[in-house]
Amino acid sequence: MNYSELTRRYFESAGAAGVLSGDCVGRGAAGTRRMGTWVQFDIQLEPGIEPQRRIVAARFLAFGCPHTIAVAAWVCERAVGTFCAAALPEPAQALCRRFEAPAEKLGRMLVIEDAWAAAAAAAAAAAAAATVAAVATARVTIS
Amino acid sequence: MNAPVYLDYAATTPVDAGVAARMAQCLTIEGTFGNPGSSSHEYGDRARAVVEAARSQVAAAVGAEANEVIWTSGATEANNLAIFGVANYYRDHGRHIVTARTEHKAVLDPCRELERRGWRVTYLVPERSGIVDPAQVMRALERETVLVSLMHVNNEIGVVQDIEAVAAVCARHGGVRLHVDAAQSFGKCRVDFASSGADLMSLSAHKAYGPKGVGALLVSARRGVQLEALQFGGGQERNLRSGTLATHQVAGMGAAFALATADAAGIEAERGRIDALQSRLWRGIEAVGGVLRNGSAALCVPQLLNLSFEDVEGESLLAAVRPHLAVSTGSACASATNEASYVLRALGRDERLAESSLRFSLGRYTTEADIDRAVLAVAEAVTRLRRIGGK
Repeated sequence: MNYSELTRRYFESAGAAGVLSGDCVGRGAAGTRRMGTWVQFDIQLEPGIEPQRRIVAARFLAFGCPHTIAVAAWVCERAVGTFCAAALPEPAQALCRRFEAPAEKLGRMLVIEDAWAAAAAAAAAAAAAATVAAVATARVTIS
Repeated sequence: MNAPVYLDYAATTPVDAGVAARMAQCLTIEGTFGNPGSSSHEYGDRARAVVEAARSQVAAAVGAEANEVIWTSGATEANNLAIFGVANYYRDHGRHIVTARTEHKAVLDPCRELERRGWRVTYLVPERSGIVDPAQVMRALERETVLVSLMHVNNEIGVVQDIEAVAAVCARHGGVRLHVDAAQSFGKCRVDFASSGADLMSLSAHKAYGPKGVGALLVSARRGVQLEALQFGGGQERNLRSGTLATHQVAGMGAAFALATADAAGIEAERGRIDALQSRLWRGIEAVGGVLRNGSAALCVPQLLNLSFEDVEGESLLAAVRPHLAVSTGSACASATNEASYVLRALGRDERLAESSLRFSLGRYTTEADIDRAVLAVAEAVTRLRRIGGK
């Protein structure tokens, strides 16, 4: 199969491959290796008390085709600095077009979408928990 | 950047320079350009002499008689001629064929077409090693069976079938005709049509440093097998394959087969060299870990090495090695059909491992440096993809 220049670039660099740890980090995964596509995202949000927070870092792990790896890497890169949301920076069909993936790979893009949504929810929960913990610590200090 | 290392000799080989020169002699006004079917002038006579010399060369190289060689456009046509030719001729004797699930599509697709026409086909499942036990063939034979079609050297894993044993089974069962697809065999292991016991054997030129577009079907004269022609118009090749013969192609196949058998000591030395290169490749890649060999080393030709990689997705593996290596994959993902190799699946590999397989095929121009580059490229790709995949 011939891949677009964008796909080749992100597949070959896969710069955001890895995992994150620490406060305000949420992890979500979707798909299975057995079925041929598995994707995991780690999303780290900025600390603070605002209901909407920006993404400060994102990483991925992926077992999948070059399109899957390239899109996951691109999503991580694009997401940094944006407000955390369940939706990907672009919907799955638009990602297919952007990376010139054949139509039969839409299912793999949907796995990426599901993994991202799970990670975003987990990150929001982790950030909220970190905020609660920080407020509790501040109260103890004041009293 | 260096050109990718070519390790896909089982797909095709470059034409030997001497073979190409021989072919060129049959093309231009100075050469033997005549129609070998023209019996009314010297140009035709000379071309016919070239064709017959090539026929003798191929026959001598594979232990056949010259009158047993029917020229075709390649092994695919030879397989079609063998299967449909026998089926059409013997259809009143029965409508059952025995073959194996691991055959090339050039055998399986004609069999499926015959099924659509009302024939029954038994598809044998080889052992995990890739070998079809002759006892399996014996059990599959019926009163209605008119043909057994099995390949000699498997094109994906390189396992060599015991054709003589299968032929003996066919002979005991009232002389059921045996067709052998030997497209991958010549140049990789001994091919002797006469002693094999096969009735029909398909050959290809371009797997053995000859040109694409030419092959042959060997039709045993001694065993008296009959075929119905599939194409008509001129009556060439004993009425079995009409059409003007491509003198240059035929001459090229003859020259390639003659060259491959001309120097017995050289053949032995080359076999040892390929053996050593394959061992070097296997040892180097095995060290990566999580690598499974498809097909038993003891039963396979050294030119082929088929490996499955754990925890690596097949299409990504091929994409990652592609800038460095020309190899084949067990995954058809690359063609977007998302179908794993049916050969490896038939041998019991699960879908993921069948997809994450690479076939390395070595040949005359493969060097130690090529092997070392291949090992490095595979090791880097597998390690990187496993890291991305969290393994």
